Amino acid sequence: MSSKKSTPTQAFLYENKKSLNPITEEQQYVHDVYEKIAQHFSSTRYKPWPVVEEFFKELEIGSIGIDVGCGNGKYLDVNRNIYIIGADRSSNLIEISASRGFESLICDALKLPYRNECFDFVTSIAVIHHFTTPERRITAIKELFRIAKPGSKVLIYVWAMEQTESRRKFDENYQDVFVPWVIPADKNEKREEIVYKRYYHLFKKGELDELVLNTGLAKIIRSDYNKDNWYVIAIKK
Amino acid sequence: MRLVTHNMLQCHVKGCNSNNFPLQLSDVEIEIQETDFNPKFLRNMLSKLEWNALVKTALEINITTLPNVLPNDLDEEFLKMLHRVLLETHIKQGQMICPNCNHTYPIKDGIPNMLLSETET
Ligand SMILES: [Zn+2]
Repeated sequence: MSSKKSTPTQAFLYENKKSLNPITEEQQYVHDVYEKIAQHFSSTRYKPWPVVEEFFKELEIGSIGIDVGCGNGKYLDVNRNIYIIGADRSSNLIEISASRGFESLICDALKLPYRNECFDFVTSIAVIHHFTTPERRITAIKELFRIAKPGSKVLIYVWAMEQTESRRKFDENYQDVFVPWVIPADKNEKREEIVYKRYYHLFKKGELDELVLNTGLAKIIRSDYNKDNWYVIAIKK
Repeated sequence: MRLVTHNMLQCHVKGCNSNNFPLQLSDVEIEIQETDFNPKFLRNMLSKLEWNALVKTALEINITTLPNVLPNDLDEEFLKMLHRVLLETHIKQGQMICPNCNHTYPIKDGIPNMLLSETET
């Protein structure tokens, strides 16, 4: 039995603590967690999702683009005929990506440091669900389209409320949850199991499409469910 | 960081909306890492770059081989020179300074850090 399968999947209820503002919340329940789990997280992120892999493989030779929220860079070498920049908020994950020889930089998805309409493609895989308010999710999506050239493709993946592959079952009354990340106990290091809570907004069917269309910046050409996620491929207007 | 990546970057400090590209390179350390030559990839990529900004930035790091205007006829020798400048030249250390607001973005171990503090966003 591989340890990768033994992660308990019960979501913790997320109580919206009014004392915390979204910035503090995301710092504590997203950024800080990824910094701490980077190494373990990376060791579980090696198998590309077929839809994402296909998206990269179909791009024209010489395309220049960016994966916003690239993590350890798992998609950055799927297609050697494109120039792809990996960007992430977590410096520990970006160091792993850079150490694999990938073009990597640290930035915030809410405020991307790139020129308007400079990229031939843009991807956002498992990122938008970490923003705690609808406004911040919309801002992040608008940024993806701002930097994409007119006519270029943008791929966005988010976690679904409706989970069919994993043993996770979410209560549909609660879209905002904490999902545990468990680092197993290590006998050699005499370390107990560590559980980190990560904040997720679980997307319901149609919700991502609505956010994308509401930006007024893009046309959706594909929208589907895959591996516990909703995804959209949109063309920048 | 390669110069292609730098060619896409602009300053994003709040209110800094003009003359914020290209970021000026300073105190840089460069490393050459060889990689496979792929002329078709390179040709297609060239039309996507802001050429003037690229030439200016290259001069800042003492690369003087780029012509002011990209020629129409790209022979193999020229492409190989570009391959070296665009794909094999890595900026390992240094900083990028905004020509408008002077904000400085550090580059450490080849990784630019573009995060701003809360008051700058
Ligand atoms: Zn500036």
